[in-house]
Amino acid sequence: MKTVCKFATLTLMMFAVTVCGFSQRLSAPKPATATQNLIRGVIGSPGNDSEWSNYSLFNLVPGSGLFPITSSTTVFYFGFTAGTEADIGNMVVYTTARGSLTITATTPVTLGGKSDPSIMLSNTSVCPVAPSTAAPCIVRFDPTSLTLSPANDYYFVVYYVSDTNNSNIAGTSPSQTQTSLAGTYFGGTDYTHLTVGGTIPGAANRGPSFLMYVMND
Amino acid sequence: MKTIFKFATLTLTLTIMMFAVSVSSFAAAAKAENLVRGIIGPVASNTSWSGYSTMALIPGAGLIPITSTKAVFYLGFTAGSEADINNMVLYTTARGSSTITASTPVTLGGISNPSIDLASATVCPVVEISDFNPCIVRLDPTTITLSALNDYYLVVYFTADDSNDTALGLTQPSFGQSSLRGSYVTGDESRLSVGGSIPNTPFSNQPYMLMYVMND
Repeated sequence: MKTVCKFATLTLMMFAVTVCGFSQRLSAPKPATATQNLIRGVIGSPGNDSEWSNYSLFNLVPGSGLFPITSSTTVFYFGFTAGTEADIGNMVVYTTARGSLTITATTPVTLGGKSDPSIMLSNTSVCPVAPSTAAPCIVRFDPTSLTLSPANDYYFVVYYVSDTNNSNIAGTSPSQTQTSLAGTYFGGTDYTHLTVGGTIPGAANRGPSFLMYVMND
Repeated sequence: MKTIFKFATLTLTLTIMMFAVSVSSFAAAAKAENLVRGIIGPVASNTSWSGYSTMALIPGAGLIPITSTKAVFYLGFTAGSEADINNMVLYTTARGSSTITASTPVTLGGISNPSIDLASATVCPVVEISDFNPCIVRLDPTTITLSALNDYYLVVYFTADDSNDTALGLTQPSFGQSSLRGSYVTGDESRLSVGGSIPNTPFSNQPYMLMYVMND
């Protein structure tokens, strides 16, 4: 009986110590739920690039630039600097191996639950101030269920349909030194419907257009 | 007696379960992470490296605040069938200084002078390596805790008069978004001693070959 009591007491003490340690670990990561950058976004004056009717816009989120934050969601923020309405035909994220252009996965991206939204830039609930280079209208897309990995690169691709609204929109266009993000674009073709095994049509060769931030929320 | 025994068993089971959950949480935290901002996106290529030492600077000023007891270097190859490396080393200097304060061997498969078979599908899964599909080779983890107070130079010397290395292509970053810097010199600079100096060559460009520095 004495032995059993000793064993019970010892086990109870071990349990108490474990619970104590475990509770401290649980309380530590709380700050991770705050809104955080997953990569260095656009800093400084963002510049301006206009006329996007019938263009596919590629923004590269390189794995080699990712911060050590684990998030099961990825949120993209676009900066508009001119226009009254942006008509998007489709949006997607392509995953490739790091440094490669071969697509290994595709993930849809939405705004308000739609992958082909029209963004009303003249609406003050969307853009409290009319978009300009000095005061870009920053639009937050729906969180994408994507856990970014340093072993991959990610291409966020947006196709702007061919219309007059998109001829009049402009987006932020920083230099490459202002961010870890990069970009490129192609006119005349909707590149948002590529499939796994396909190839990104070209490497990023300039700073990102429109894409300003990639965050966990 | 039976009640006490049951209680002890239950408590012990709970303890083991919580320990297991805790261990798995720690294990998840040990995933591969960047120690510094690496090369971004697809790259260009630079060929013919026989008799050259590539030198890549990992600046303390660019380190991401992660504590790791090891550093893992990833090298990118864009052309060739075999890379014949004569020696690899990591020099430590004080931040901004060229005086070597420590020298750490770097290995692949346990040796510091490996021949890398780029034609092997187990080494390079993409059969025809290129600028857009570089073969990225992970070196053995180097036991070193990178410090923001130091700079580090990864030096790889390619064997002289070697036809494999003459046909060899290394990654050459397209534009300068990485925190890494690099240069190259002729001759073997991989056997310098503590107290010696890093060769006086500008490190204003992105590094050839070194693409990523990670904790795993």
